[in-house]
Amino acid sequence: MEKVKKKIGSFSFWNWVTASIIFRLILIYFPKNLNLSSRPEVSTPLTSFRRLAEGYWLKQSFMSPYAGSMYHGSPLLLSLLGPLTINRIEGQPNHLLYSLVSVIADVVSAMLIRATGQNLRLAYLRSLESLDLVKQIEVSGDIAALIYLCNPFTIVACVGLSTSPIENMAVILCLYGACSRLIPLAAFGWVIATHLSLYPAILIIPVIFLLGCGPDSPPRKLFLQRHQQKEVLNQSKLPPRFSWGPVIHFAFWAFLWSVYVLVLCGISLKQFGGLWEMFKSTYGFILTVEDLSPNIGVLWYFFAEVFEFFRNFFLIVFHVNILFMILPLAIRLRHRPCYLAFVYVAICSMLKSYPSVGDSALYLGLLGWFVNELADMQFSLFLFCGYVGVSLLSPVMHNLWIWRGTGNANFYFATAMVYACLQIVLVVEGVSAMLNHDRKLRNLITGKPQDAKS
Amino acid sequence: MAETKEKSLSDEKPKPRVRPIVRLGIFLISHSFHVSVVCCTAGVLALFLLPVLAKNTYISENALMPGSASPMLSNQHVSDGNRLVKDLTNPNSKSSETGIESHKIIAQYMLDLGAEVSFHKFHPQMNQFHPLHFFSSPDSGKIQENYSCSSYGINTVGIIRAPHGDGKEAIVLVTPYNALKSGFGEALSLGIAYSVFSLLTQVTWLAKDIIWLVADSQYGEYAAVAAWLREYQTPKFSSLSTPNAEMCPDVNNLFELKGHSISGSKFSNSFRRAGTMASALVLKVRDQNEQFEDTISIYAEASNGQMPNLDLINVVNYLAVHRQGLRVNVEKLWSLLNSSWLKSLGEIFESLAKVAKSLYPKWKFGIPATEYVEGTATLASSLYYQALGVPTGPHGAFRDYQVDAITLEISPKFSLDKVWRNDILLRGGRLIEGVIRSVNNLLEKFHQSFFLYLLTSPSKFVSVGVYMIAFAFLIAPLPMVAASLYVDANSSSNCSKGDSSTPSAITDTDEHSIAIRSWRWLNSAKLVFIVHLWGAIVSLLPYFISQIPDCSPTTSFMIWVLLSILSLLTLNSVLASPLACAKATQEKEWALVKSVTISSVFIGLGLMSVINFATAEIGALLMVPMCLLAQPLKLDVRAGTLRSFCRMICNLVLGHIAFPPAALFLLKGMLDGFGNANVGDFWMWVESLWAWNSATYLFIVEVTYIFSHG
Repeated sequence: MEKVKKKIGSFSFWNWVTASIIFRLILIYFPKNLNLSSRPEVSTPLTSFRRLAEGYWLKQSFMSPYAGSMYHGSPLLLSLLGPLTINRIEGQPNHLLYSLVSVIADVVSAMLIRATGQNLRLAYLRSLESLDLVKQIEVSGDIAALIYLCNPFTIVACVGLSTSPIENMAVILCLYGACSRLIPLAAFGWVIATHLSLYPAILIIPVIFLLGCGPDSPPRKLFLQRHQQKEVLNQSKLPPRFSWGPVIHFAFWAFLWSVYVLVLCGISLKQFGGLWEMFKSTYGFILTVEDLSPNIGVLWYFFAEVFEFFRNFFLIVFHVNILFMILPLAIRLRHRPCYLAFVYVAICSMLKSYPSVGDSALYLGLLGWFVNELADMQFSLFLFCGYVGVSLLSPVMHNLWIWRGTGNANFYFATAMVYACLQIVLVVEGVSAMLNHDRKLRNLITGKPQDAKS
Repeated sequence: MAETKEKSLSDEKPKPRVRPIVRLGIFLISHSFHVSVVCCTAGVLALFLLPVLAKNTYISENALMPGSASPMLSNQHVSDGNRLVKDLTNPNSKSSETGIESHKIIAQYMLDLGAEVSFHKFHPQMNQFHPLHFFSSPDSGKIQENYSCSSYGINTVGIIRAPHGDGKEAIVLVTPYNALKSGFGEALSLGIAYSVFSLLTQVTWLAKDIIWLVADSQYGEYAAVAAWLREYQTPKFSSLSTPNAEMCPDVNNLFELKGHSISGSKFSNSFRRAGTMASALVLKVRDQNEQFEDTISIYAEASNGQMPNLDLINVVNYLAVHRQGLRVNVEKLWSLLNSSWLKSLGEIFESLAKVAKSLYPKWKFGIPATEYVEGTATLASSLYYQALGVPTGPHGAFRDYQVDAITLEISPKFSLDKVWRNDILLRGGRLIEGVIRSVNNLLEKFHQSFFLYLLTSPSKFVSVGVYMIAFAFLIAPLPMVAASLYVDANSSSNCSKGDSSTPSAITDTDEHSIAIRSWRWLNSAKLVFIVHLWGAIVSLLPYFISQIPDCSPTTSFMIWVLLSILSLLTLNSVLASPLACAKATQEKEWALVKSVTISSVFIGLGLMSVINFATAEIGALLMVPMCLLAQPLKLDVRAGTLRSFCRMICNLVLGHIAFPPAALFLLKGMLDGFGNANVGDFWMWVESLWAWNSATYLFIVEVTYIFSHG
């Protein structure tokens, strides 16, 4: 019976995947009308397709791709994707090849998410088994992959020709590698993701936990309690202790890959100022928030208003904000590294200097891994309505400000603030739901009544 | 955020110590019925109070300085204008079939004044609605392929370069003129414009270029102005893509004649431009008039309920009333003027104000009943035209390019007396001169005063901060009721669970029910999404139907209805299969569906209020009661009490009232949509559809429930 159900499930899964791909292809054929690639929600200075094309053009004409503060991405992206910006097929939409690459990146990410989700589910089942709790759980991998593929944010980022599908793919590759213990792959994903957008660098903490103790499981204490109750200490059923071996292995590979990437970048930028130039106009550009054009984040408005002599101070404050949250979260959620990764990604997409909807697409996709654990999450309807409302309101406010002239920057910024608040609520509620879930498991084991929570 | 709080507290068990704000939230949710009744009443009442709350207009931009200089338009200029009027009304000039002669006369007059003159040829563009245009910038006009030489219009454009200006800014004066069948009024408006134009060639204070556009209105005033603006704002760089009107012999003929007769002058074949437009005035003179005074009507509504800056209207109003002694009018709903209930309402307000004043002398907010009635009539028409979204004149085309523009229609008391004609030329000309001089003083764009306002009389307005209160009252019940329904649905499931599960049996089924609990709304969200999707498809269908050639409105309407039903069925079969599983629990589920529906309506109305307030307000008036009353019919029938019967009747009536307008609206849209609707019109249709969809889907949700229970 279950097999049949599973079969049906996987059948409709592939149906949905095909439907979402077809939908993307249909949208790709209307690039002029949608004009998505010029929307501030989709293309930030870092992910914009136009800037990529400009950088490629500059490089072709033997100038530094970073000249004129137009392009701020990686030089590798330039050599890989650059040629696609000018290649055209007669009678087809202009950027068909490039769009196809984004579609492929999306599908690959979805498949990786699915595989990771299955991994996580197996681990979850195993740990439940060892706790003697039998539970019917959802196929979280499929759900997460479908959420990622059918999310309007992902579709918009993909059709809007931004580079975020590729950045997201690197992040997911890293997590996938860490979950399935393919250490070189994990290191490669981590290095590339960091190279492309800097912020995924903090994912090293969840990756270390993943490699050290394996994928998400209930807290180790629970297992000990359980076995104390039974008074048999079955070591094989305990989750493994932290092991440094894979971590060192990972560090070695990460070092190797980063040297490799840097050498490649150095070669491609040899005559244009070398690596220093690259660091200055990619990481420097990200960290100093030079471009104040409106986006869905909150930093542009703030730094447009702030006095020049406070600027450095506030730059430090805003970036340290992210770093502040790393440690407490890492301590609290160390037994659930994948969830920790989700929380980190969400926080980054909230506080990063040039956020786009592609970042939200990533963490919303990752959220799908935890459907079983987050079943009790509060405010789900409110959050859903909020996301829908903000994503509709933001273009309208932009239109009011830029095209109609009846609104002003505050209108648009208000939606950005609401969006940031929604993300905060999502993270807070998500983390508390996860902690509640752990608590509930503990209560189930110790046999306390359910009401004892809080 | 309020919703969050409300939900949060009701999800948790009420603890002994709750914060006041939480307690308030609980109170609001538990009494959501009474609160929503109170809020709705307050909303409607506040709407009727708006004319009382209207403030007097004031000129907010200091640089405008209207009327500070004495008018320079003299009788000399007036007689110039008179000459043009005579020449145009002269039967000889109408000999040519295409009316080219009169355009030549106008051009000649302009050239004589030393202005730069050019002709702009355009093809009346059937404004086709494109479903995806909403996302793109407004200036992406499509070039049509099949032009014929038989139908084109000629705009005559004269430009005066400002002696002090740097040529970066311009003021536009538009006079619609139909050369084929021009009335006396049109000729008179040309005369006024010409007298102002002749003055402006001589003055030294001019800092902005003046563009005088004689718009060929034989294909509609709006189309001509829109075509000229499109050309002005989006220069075409490739010669291939230009519409090949030059190929037509007739037009070439025109140019040759011109070039021949006035060689070496300022006439040019190419399209002439001045700077960016600071503002635009459209001038019209009405042919016949029943009124005993010289009045001037101001039309301001552009596409989609956009309004020009209030300062522009203020300047015109101030100059017309205080300098030229003209009466200023804005559009009214005349039928409301004689309604007795409105009058009695006004009297009630007046007496209330009197009582208030006797209590405390500083409270002075009352207005006389007659004024109240007039204000309400004006407000109603203001709301109506903004909600309709169709521009009330050629000025609407300017607003799409962020240029503030209004139409001034002078309706003189009619007589053929020469003195009278000179008088109207002088006063109209001086008014235009004053407005141009004020705008000429501007250093930046109009930005000081309001863009979002409703007029209750030419000198009174309701600003956005005031009218939003009425709207907020009206839609405040929606999130509250949604939250209370959601909480009810959740708590009822909790209760049932608590009954069934004994403390010892913490089994997997229990786990599963928990798992469902907080995400249970997903099913209803799916249902609502499907209905929305259907609504979107239905609203996009007219575009595809309009592509079918040779279709009478009725057949296309029939096609439309058929296709929408078909699409509903396909959608239902493709996407809605999961709904069948949920059928068992549907009795309880409807509360969740209603909750999700109401929240989506809330989002939609909030969004609409930002885009076009008037549509949102009218939509809210219709939809809020419907949303709050909606209930599956089967349940009502089963309950069988008087109250539920009344509610059922209300539901049915409301459902039908709100649905036929959609049908009626759309029928009308189809009828003139195939003729000559403009983009604004169609935008409006889509937007009204967006609003109406929600109405329709509520109706449909109801219907689906009738079916599923029946």
